[in-house]
Amino acid sequence: MTLQEAKFILSSYRPNGSDSGSAAFGDALRMAGEDPVLGAWFARSRELDTAVAAKLAQIAPPPGLREAILAGARVGESHRKRGPAWGWMGGLAAAAALVIGLFSLRVPVRPVQPSIPSSAQVAPIAVFAIDDMVHGKHGGSGEPASALVARLETKGSAIPTGAEIGFDKLKATGCRTISWQGEDMIEVCFVRDGTLFHLYVLRRPGPGDDDAVGGPFYLEQAAGSAASWSDSHFDYALASTAGVAAIRKLLL
Amino acid sequence: MNNEAFAQLVDAHYAPLYRFALSLARNGSDAGDLVQQTFFIWATKGHGLRELSKAKSWLFTTLYREFLRGRRRDSRSSSLEDLPPGERDPAAEDIDRVSRIDSALVMSALQSVEETFRAPLTLFYLEDMSYQQIADTLEVPIGTVMSRLSRGKAQLRLALERTDPSAKIVPFPGTKENTAS
Repeated sequence: MTLQEAKFILSSYRPNGSDSGSAAFGDALRMAGEDPVLGAWFARSRELDTAVAAKLAQIAPPPGLREAILAGARVGESHRKRGPAWGWMGGLAAAAALVIGLFSLRVPVRPVQPSIPSSAQVAPIAVFAIDDMVHGKHGGSGEPASALVARLETKGSAIPTGAEIGFDKLKATGCRTISWQGEDMIEVCFVRDGTLFHLYVLRRPGPGDDDAVGGPFYLEQAAGSAASWSDSHFDYALASTAGVAAIRKLLL
Repeated sequence: MNNEAFAQLVDAHYAPLYRFALSLARNGSDAGDLVQQTFFIWATKGHGLRELSKAKSWLFTTLYREFLRGRRRDSRSSSLEDLPPGERDPAAEDIDRVSRIDSALVMSALQSVEETFRAPLTLFYLEDMSYQQIADTLEVPIGTVMSRLSRGKAQLRLALERTDPSAKIVPFPGTKENTAS
């Protein structure tokens, strides 16, 4: 074994001595014990490795990462079992915690009015809606979409729900469809009282899931505001840059 | 896996996984995303891992795969191992330098090491993994790991030298050196 070969092998030797019993290092270690040049090199190398490892161990994960991981896992679990077993409220809280965790480094969440539920109670669909509203490419046409837009834009009219939403027609005739968590979601943009709104509709797995019915929950972020709610047919999110008050006014 | 067991798994591994991700992704935001994604896969795929003793290796391998999947491969990656090692033996001043500078600067130096060498080097330092464990985690042969560790350490020493804020600036011959009064 040459000096260079010994150095090559000893470069993989852990500085804490965990590899002292490994046969792979036997010859190189023996050589380092007999050759003072190699021995000095090995001692410096281990010392440097120890110093580097100690410095790197001081790097701490960002605050909130642990909580985001735990919430994210629960969301994954609930998504697999999506339905009454987990319930809407618990799912929303964990899901929102995850998604907010994912976005927190980029989009600061600011507190909303005390009467409005905290962001932890807001559905992830609301967080998605704000993000998509800001960054998505909007549009969509087709008769069903136009009819829905016309209704949405009629002053004083309620947001259509459940069976009134012709989901398949909207999807087939050009209304914007987005894939969200592996499922199709439609988006309709409309103007009410001069304010542009984005309505997102996600079909629930099946009717009669009354445990999942809930909301609206409101979320306000620096980039925009949203509300999310659910009936037994669909999950909804309504997003706008006009603030929570404008969204609440439309939903009342 | 119940919530408590999962929380224990997260507590045991999320910090070193974050450090590994930070060295790969080079920024905290992407590193956090990688760690979350890794645990999300564990939770959603049912992982099918009965032996929790292998969880650590599974998590690091998954994070590395996710990193590779997410980043754009470029032509340089494949030729990196043909580069000369740039070998320079560790000197006493290298050890002093590392002890003196901030941990963030050490991480910054590590992040500047070529990606091929950076992953095994990070596992060696952050997780104190044996060459065999690194080979298993990164799914490369043992000899390749040894080669990458050797070359990666040489690159890291050069990077630390460049990173050191107190490194002396040698004036160019023929110019006057500015002196503070």
